[in-house]
Amino acid sequence: MTYLTVGNATKQFGVNFKALDGVSVSVDKGEFFTLLGPSGCGKTTLLRAIAGFNDLTSGDIKLGDYDLRKIPPHQRDIGMVFQDYAVFPHLSVFDNVAFGLKPRKVPEAERKARVDEALATVRLSALADRMPSAMSGGQQQRIGIARAMVIKPRLLLMDEPLSNLDAKLRIELREEIRDIQKQIDIAAIYVTHDQEEALAISDRICVMSGGHVEQIGTPQDIYGDPQTRFVANFVGTLNTLKSGADLENLTRNLGLSDVKAETWAVRPERLGLSNPAAREGATIKGTVSKYVYLGREAHLQVSTGIGELVVHIANPGRNAGRAVGEPVSVLITRDALMGFDTNGKRLSTGG
Amino acid sequence: MSRLNFWSAVAIFTWLLLAIFLLLPVGTVLLSSFHDPNGQFTLANYAAFLSEPRFHRALLNTLVVGFGGLAGALLLGAIMAFCISRFVIFGSKFVSLLAILALVSPPFIGAYSWIVLFGAGGLVRTGLRDVGIMIPPIYGLIGILIVFALKFYPYVYLMVSGALANVNRSLEEAAEGLGLTPWQRTFKISFPMVFPALSAGGLLAFIHAIADFGTPRLLGRGYNVLATEAFTLYSAEVGSNMSMATTISVVLIIVSMLFVFLQRYMSRRNVYHGNMINKPIKIKLKGWRNVAAHTVVYLIGLLGALPVIISIIYSFRLTNGPVFQSGFGLQSYTRILFNLGDVVRNSLTFSVMAVILIVLVGTIVGVYVARRTTLNTSLLDAAFMIPFVMPGIVIGIAYIAVFNTGPVILTGTATIIILSVFIRRLPYAVRTTASALRQISPSMEEAAISLGYSPFQAFLRITVPLIVPGIIAGGMLSFVTAINELSSSLVLYVGSTVTMPVRIYLLILDGDFGTAAAMASILLLVSGLAVYIAFRFLGRNEQALL
Repeated sequence: MTYLTVGNATKQFGVNFKALDGVSVSVDKGEFFTLLGPSGCGKTTLLRAIAGFNDLTSGDIKLGDYDLRKIPPHQRDIGMVFQDYAVFPHLSVFDNVAFGLKPRKVPEAERKARVDEALATVRLSALADRMPSAMSGGQQQRIGIARAMVIKPRLLLMDEPLSNLDAKLRIELREEIRDIQKQIDIAAIYVTHDQEEALAISDRICVMSGGHVEQIGTPQDIYGDPQTRFVANFVGTLNTLKSGADLENLTRNLGLSDVKAETWAVRPERLGLSNPAAREGATIKGTVSKYVYLGREAHLQVSTGIGELVVHIANPGRNAGRAVGEPVSVLITRDALMGFDTNGKRLSTGG
Repeated sequence: MSRLNFWSAVAIFTWLLLAIFLLLPVGTVLLSSFHDPNGQFTLANYAAFLSEPRFHRALLNTLVVGFGGLAGALLLGAIMAFCISRFVIFGSKFVSLLAILALVSPPFIGAYSWIVLFGAGGLVRTGLRDVGIMIPPIYGLIGILIVFALKFYPYVYLMVSGALANVNRSLEEAAEGLGLTPWQRTFKISFPMVFPALSAGGLLAFIHAIADFGTPRLLGRGYNVLATEAFTLYSAEVGSNMSMATTISVVLIIVSMLFVFLQRYMSRRNVYHGNMINKPIKIKLKGWRNVAAHTVVYLIGLLGALPVIISIIYSFRLTNGPVFQSGFGLQSYTRILFNLGDVVRNSLTFSVMAVILIVLVGTIVGVYVARRTTLNTSLLDAAFMIPFVMPGIVIGIAYIAVFNTGPVILTGTATIIILSVFIRRLPYAVRTTASALRQISPSMEEAAISLGYSPFQAFLRITVPLIVPGIIAGGMLSFVTAINELSSSLVLYVGSTVTMPVRIYLLILDGDFGTAAAMASILLLVSGLAVYIAFRFLGRNEQALL
């Protein structure tokens, strides 16, 4: 059931820069929706337009039956979590969280109960009376989350809330955010440039670049079935194959000569070193130019006629080390290859 | 839409304010310098300035005391900053306090205290003569330079110690690793890092030195500078030469401005933003080095605060009329209480009024400048640089030139003194507010808005509480400047609007140092109280005094 719809959103800065260029997305009730893209792709501009901090040049934003663009930001009833936490340094943790309940005229007793509940959800009950200034980034962002959800907003917006935290805390807190969102069953829009974070947290992801939408889909769709070269490249890693006779041979061997692709690419983990047991796919001969052992996996770089290929090998055995210069054969299966046309659009390879 | 109108009103109001109380007076000074007493256009004033040896000497002397004061302040300030930020100095907080004392001590009281000690009949000088050591009296250039160095070194000290504390130690360690000797490290790494602070502190010392009027007046004994010449020309009972006084004012402004631009130019490339991962540590010196460092630091601190100490001691000495007797008493204070209460009251009311105006207008304009970046606010920012290079004596003369005749006559009123203080200090208040606001992340207000507060309420409930401590502290520091203001008040006062610094100046001229010392001590007490309040609100932040 569609809850929030953004239609043809365009935001013009100056004469010739479009931060948003005809973006349309819709978010369902209770859905965790992520805007993913590199900096400058327009994801934050879109989020701030929904929050009301800057208006669109054209397009419409509807939340339920309301036309959001007609409502001033402080009446939109949208919770927001900020990248720099934006915790009020002159108020205690409790007062920070209670801040949004005052203009809603929530009675004293209920206010206390709701703040206590919110603080319990983010596991900050013990710190309710403390001032936030001396707290860690993770704790401050928990205050920010509690403060945004305690008002029971119609929509929760999060602008790169974890990007100022260290890696371990980021993983911990993103799972908490996900749990809280499911628990209070609210539609959430989350902005990030971290593809792993987006994959881990989202129901659906909208990949953006240069002010337009590249692809909208579930994390599985986005990673496993990227519709554009940009998405394939931005989410996960990609070997782009060098054109030439070897590449033509390869596509012919795999029965892909009919697909007129401008570029061919393949993900490193979809490649393997050929073994006698392999029954399908084609092999490419090459020599090892680099071997990186990472414990859980090993990264192998192989010089071949179709370029330098990075091959990820899962669970490399202790004896699987390869010397530089060693000849190997790389196995490529038909469904691993992705072809893109001149506009970067993914071409069908017929199942 | 109403917000837009409000800010347009602020813009118009600010420009009107600047036009009437800054641009018009300064413009009048400029115009007046190009006119003869009959109102005819002439270049004669500048021709006179260029041809008369008296003015040549004054300009040369001004540059000499400017650069001399600068050199002295740089030397003392840099040594002190280096020692305190790099070595463990016992009682370093106390030494900083001494520097603050020197900074907030009433102007020219320093000059007089040095006369008391080293003048023709000075205590130290006569004492030394008794044991057979003859030193010349302190009058003239040497005296002025000593006073300036000791009065203005705190500018350099406070600026540089802040910068030195922020030089990442890794940089010096890296240089050490690359094989640089300690001297090379200091000159190739540390020096460029603190150069902006050093030159900014030096600039303050220079500008204050060339604008200072009291010190050359009392200590110079014929060593005239532009500020004293301007005052003499303006105040001469017979043959007061307003247009020549304004000509000299213009020259003084030009010298100040040239130096501001020179400093900007010299430190244009040196802006470093160090990360503070590896803070510098203080070394504990041993043996004679430790003794030397402590001696130097305490010597500078105590000498700088000497005028204050002398004033306080002398304020409690028994007097018979203006003549000191042996023993101590409260006569000087009772005299102030019974005869000069109105002067204290004047100073307090004028300063409080000026500070209220400064805080109100400064805050609103500061918000405007920080929140709206337009051509208009950039122009405002530039216009606010003008009072920075305006010596007080020039503002005084300019106000007389404008408000003596014409539609609004303000001469002889309290208003004109309040306004002159207000306009000189307003830029600082605007800067304080603007920089405090720029430190508050805009997302703070956005968070409040998203939680249901209107933009105005969000500003009121979030931003205002966050900047109020800074504003109060700024107001207190403006109060210190306001209550110690001499040079513009000296031009603007009449019998009923005498302020404490003016009265102290007159008392010293009359030779009544007991009363002057008592009044200076009261002034110091009030200033100290204001600084204390400011530090309570701001945390102990000596740099805010600059």
